[in-house]
Amino acid sequence: MSDFVRDFRDLHVLIVHPRDSSAEDLLQQVNRIGCNFDSVWPIPKVLEKKFDLVFVDVTDQPCAQIKSFLNSNGGELPTVIPVIGYENPSALEAVFKIGAHAVLTKPVRAAGVLSSMLMARMHWAEQRRFQKEMLKLRDRLDNFQKINDAKFILMRHHTIDDKEAYAVIRKQAMAKRTTVFEIAQSIINADGILRNIGDI
Amino acid sequence: MTVLSTQGSWRVGILFATSGVTSIIEQSQLNGTLLAIDEVNARGGVRGLPIEPVSYNPDSVVAYYGELAEKLIVEDRVSAIFACYMSSARKAALPVVERRNALFFYPTPYEGFECSPNVIYGGATPNQNSVPLANYLLNTFGKRIFFVGSDYIYPRESNRVMRNVLHQGGGEVVDERYLSFYTDTDGFDELAREIIELKPDAIFSTVVGQMCIDFYRAYHAAGGDGRVCPIASLTANEAEIATIGPEAGVGHITAAPYFRNINSSANRKFLKAYRAKFGTVSDVTSCCEAAYSQMHMFANALEEVGEMDTDLLREALLGATFDAPQGQIKIDPDNNHTYLQSRIAQVDNNGEFIVESKVRRALKPDPYLVYPGIHDWSFRTQKVVKSPQ
Repeated sequence: MSDFVRDFRDLHVLIVHPRDSSAEDLLQQVNRIGCNFDSVWPIPKVLEKKFDLVFVDVTDQPCAQIKSFLNSNGGELPTVIPVIGYENPSALEAVFKIGAHAVLTKPVRAAGVLSSMLMARMHWAEQRRFQKEMLKLRDRLDNFQKINDAKFILMRHHTIDDKEAYAVIRKQAMAKRTTVFEIAQSIINADGILRNIGDI
Repeated sequence: MTVLSTQGSWRVGILFATSGVTSIIEQSQLNGTLLAIDEVNARGGVRGLPIEPVSYNPDSVVAYYGELAEKLIVEDRVSAIFACYMSSARKAALPVVERRNALFFYPTPYEGFECSPNVIYGGATPNQNSVPLANYLLNTFGKRIFFVGSDYIYPRESNRVMRNVLHQGGGEVVDERYLSFYTDTDGFDELAREIIELKPDAIFSTVVGQMCIDFYRAYHAAGGDGRVCPIASLTANEAEIATIGPEAGVGHITAAPYFRNINSSANRKFLKAYRAKFGTVSDVTSCCEAAYSQMHMFANALEEVGEMDTDLLREALLGATFDAPQGQIKIDPDNNHTYLQSRIAQVDNNGEFIVESKVRRALKPDPYLVYPGIHDWSFRTQKVVKSPQ
């Protein structure tokens, strides 16, 4: 069984919605599902860190205000499920803009709440995973570029070939107990400084 | 939806199959419902008017439950329906009932993960019977359990719950099989032989209806002995065991809120009335008892409200209690399900269920429980000391 299904009772849920029958039905269903929850209205300035998942009424609410609320705790976005009253293009545009992970339509029925919570949670987790992966890949790409630059510097100065240049970098890294990227960076820095000295 | 009593009676709709694969159990639910109506009418009805049942036979065919629910509401002008055994049948009737805002009483244990405002759920959810049963099997018979089920949603979901609970208790699922509703006796014979070869400590069965009878008989014919390696079930009631017979039935185990031989005045009164109406109590089951209690709770709510208004009746029903034959029950205002007793019983030599253990007080229904904890104190059962009959 997936972790999302097994662990959904551990979620802290915030319901940002005026206290009407939709909010009532949603609160009751989240309670039945067995999550910890709080409800608040109007949209507060700051989102408390403990909330993992936020239901937010986007009917007639300025998009910018919702976005600033969702982004208010240091860029760590929670899982977001807008509750929409209208299914028209402009309402859906707002859903995209705030970066929703699933959608709930009004009137809220008990059936469908759990599915949307789990779908949203899965999308949220996947997005985070992709983002982390992308950062890692970007880092690696930068580092490979550095190693290439460093190799060229060595090849130019010492008239050695590509393989030998890499062997030098690797040997240095091992001797200094650091990574090849660090050594590559040092070589690039040193080359820059020495070249500047030559200009004087 | 509001339907006033215009014809001098309170009309209610009933959909329990008296033919087809699940008719054994649905017939008992129909009887329980009709008995409760008789009792209410005998004491003068509700606000001076009798309850008038309009009943159709859905023939255990899933699609008919939806069609007949529509017919009851539209043609018969009924706004309260007492119906359904299988989850698939409930799912067929549910959209009709919700669209027309009728009340739907469902007196059957099911797999949970539903909470319609239009349904009052009278049967057990998995937390109310699976966890106590898993505990009992592990402690009494051993850790290797074989799963068998009919192939539809209830067995799959109850097996998922059971698998989780067993794993926590150190149990092991030897194998897991789902049988189509068209399985013939050869199919059951083959399965029974395989089970006996694998020598599990117990079998957890969610095989329902006529299939349940075929399966227990096949197990017995293949040399299986319930006293050594029992079939444990959440749905094999007195009605099935009566058909299976004491020889093939002996030793097998069922977890349910109600068993026929509970020794309480409410139950004695219930059984006496049932025998007077139907001539025998051999088909009284927990589903029958749930149907009986639901009709009484409905009548009490109607007495209070005085009109067939779905919203008013729901308000009156949520939180209502009833001294049922199983003991006191209560409709949980949080989720429309029912606080129920939890008992585990074993079939004796005469084909009667003897209650072996029970929880101390009615368990709160938790229809959205994914991962019940085997060590949760509220699920502990206690040994029942036999009282002289």
